[in-house]
Amino acid sequence: MKVSGSTNWKGPVKFRMPTAENLVPIRLDIQFEGQRYKDAFTWNPSDADNEIAIFARRTVKDLKLPPAFFTQISQSIQSQLADFRAYEGQDMYTGEKIIPIKLDLRVNHTLIKDQFLWDLNNFESDPEEFARTLCKDLGVEDPEVGPAVAFAIREQLYEIAVQSVSSARESRLSKKSRRGSDYGSASKASGLSMDLVKLFSFKSSVVRKRKDLDVYEPMVDLLTNEEVDALEAREERHAR
Amino acid sequence: SFFSGELCRTLMATNAPIPGGSGEIPPITPSRPIIPEAPSEISASSNSLQPPPSSSDTYRIYIPSYSRWFSWNEINECEVRSLPELFDSRSSSKNPRVYLYLRNSIIKQYRDEHPNKISFTDVRRTLVGDVVSIRRVFDFLDSWGLINYSSSASAKPLKWDDKEAVASEPPSTVKESAKRICNGCKSVCSVACFASEKYELTLCARCYVRGNYRVGINSSEFKRVELSEESKTGWSEKETLLLLEAVMHYGDDWKKVASHVTGRTEKDCVSQFVKLPFGEQFAKDSDSEDALETFNQIKGSADPESEGRVKDGSSSPDNKRMKLTPLADASNPIMAQAAFLSALAGTKVAEAAARAAVTALSDIDHEAGKNAGGDPNGQEINGNNSERAVAEAKSLLEKEEKEVEGAIREIVEVEMMKIRDRIVHFEKLDLEMERSRKQLEEMKNLLFSDQLNIFFHTRRSRKAEDRAEC
Repeated sequence: MKVSGSTNWKGPVKFRMPTAENLVPIRLDIQFEGQRYKDAFTWNPSDADNEIAIFARRTVKDLKLPPAFFTQISQSIQSQLADFRAYEGQDMYTGEKIIPIKLDLRVNHTLIKDQFLWDLNNFESDPEEFARTLCKDLGVEDPEVGPAVAFAIREQLYEIAVQSVSSARESRLSKKSRRGSDYGSASKASGLSMDLVKLFSFKSSVVRKRKDLDVYEPMVDLLTNEEVDALEAREERHAR
Repeated sequence: SFFSGELCRTLMATNAPIPGGSGEIPPITPSRPIIPEAPSEISASSNSLQPPPSSSDTYRIYIPSYSRWFSWNEINECEVRSLPELFDSRSSSKNPRVYLYLRNSIIKQYRDEHPNKISFTDVRRTLVGDVVSIRRVFDFLDSWGLINYSSSASAKPLKWDDKEAVASEPPSTVKESAKRICNGCKSVCSVACFASEKYELTLCARCYVRGNYRVGINSSEFKRVELSEESKTGWSEKETLLLLEAVMHYGDDWKKVASHVTGRTEKDCVSQFVKLPFGEQFAKDSDSEDALETFNQIKGSADPESEGRVKDGSSSPDNKRMKLTPLADASNPIMAQAAFLSALAGTKVAEAAARAAVTALSDIDHEAGKNAGGDPNGQEINGNNSERAVAEAKSLLEKEEKEVEGAIREIVEVEMMKIRDRIVHFEKLDLEMERSRKQLEEMKNLLFSDQLNIFFHTRRSRKAEDRAEC
């Protein structure tokens, strides 16, 4: 099958998360009166806005945070949702984008490092399912790792989707040509994506080169308490 | 990192603390055996009584009886009703499969933590999905008692209406804050007290009866205020159960009862017991008078003045006339005691007690009369009693007959309606048949006329041919 650029051109799509479920990753990092609250979760943008207040109140109550956190949390969630909604009306071009997704996170005692390729065009993709399978295959026992992995994937997808919106705007402004392949190259210019054409042409094989094997292998590490403390101390120092 | 150290440590504390070498993740395996989670084996208990908490409490998971429908692999109708947005397939992320996953994970997590309670934040950190759906499922399970349900929960089941729950909560907190101190003797008032708004005085019943207030104030200016003991201390279901058990075992020995119900004085036990709706049934074994006696005894034992005078306190038919102006009788210590008791208990209770005492007395008298040699009065009264019983039985019978008749009537009606529907249906079918038959007739006619036309045409053409030939 011959792969040519023009047949792969996809028209502009309304902005949304390129996953099966249109969930927004929300990250909270609030510091107030010496207390730091960090959290990350997914939110469904089609939920009513009063849910934000309910959620914030519940969180403050469950974690016994000082009540001032309530407004901070609500505001943060609100603004992140507003950002997402601002993008929603616009177009994005996804092109033939296969992007590498990197995982490098620590959840409680588990350290995960991984890299894999993700098809941005696949709007049926499910980061949650991937995270579940990953944890099951790697024998991760901490139940909090799964959601954290899913969140990381989602965050990166969100970033890239946002970039593709802005790149679409730029290409529309700069280029007047109607040739579809130009859009594909515009997205390639972002530097992250890989060209399918190059990858799957008859010259190269699908098998990965040996030097890339290490990069693409997942690594799970269990840390001791001291290592966890050391890492946390280092992070705090960086944060300041 | 995703979680700050502080939160991280609190979360680790709630996980099952299995000692391992450093460097091991504390695995989330249940540290206590949980009864296999087939629905039939979950001990379901009624929502008011629970088996006594023994050391096996942490090994058993209880759910309230109104949640008996729960099953691991099925979704019940009430779940669909309560969480419609998860089942109306409006969005791909909200479907029954996701709901099952969320629900089962939350319940599993709670059972791992049992008997600790889990909070929504604990749960949503470990679940994959959008937090609003997780919260809804969590709240649903919470209100149905499938998670965070423990026997010490004194709140009524919250599953029906959020408004109900909200309404029932504030009153209890308000009541607890009001503790009344008597202006006269500076002691805490319990059960009932008397308040005068005009002079802003609060008196305990004793001071009121004794007239322990300023000279210028009239006793009628005091209003009786009921203070429920429950609001101050709040008898939980567990304690109520212990109390009932203890009473069944120890009967009238309130000391032992109080020791069984940890944390309650004898007085509390007795008053709570009497307040229970079926308390009278238990008291029926002894004479109603006896029960009152013991009640008064306990009540009176706290009061230094009343020793030895309690018996007369209960049988005082004259108290029927007693209004809240006992000052006149203050000189008579017996009457003062009776007045105190009746003021404490309220006029209605005092009346009822007096009446019961009178009936009991008269019964005893009549029995004594019968034993002395067939007192005709006694027999009459007995005859009256049996007549009354017969009449009651007859009326009950009539009621049942009426009910049966009503039921039969309904059944007949339903059957008639069924027959009528069938008739209507048949009539419709009949009409259809007529129509089809008519159509058939018409088509036959058309066919006949067509055939005729063809016949005439052929005849005409043949005639024309013949003529042409000639």
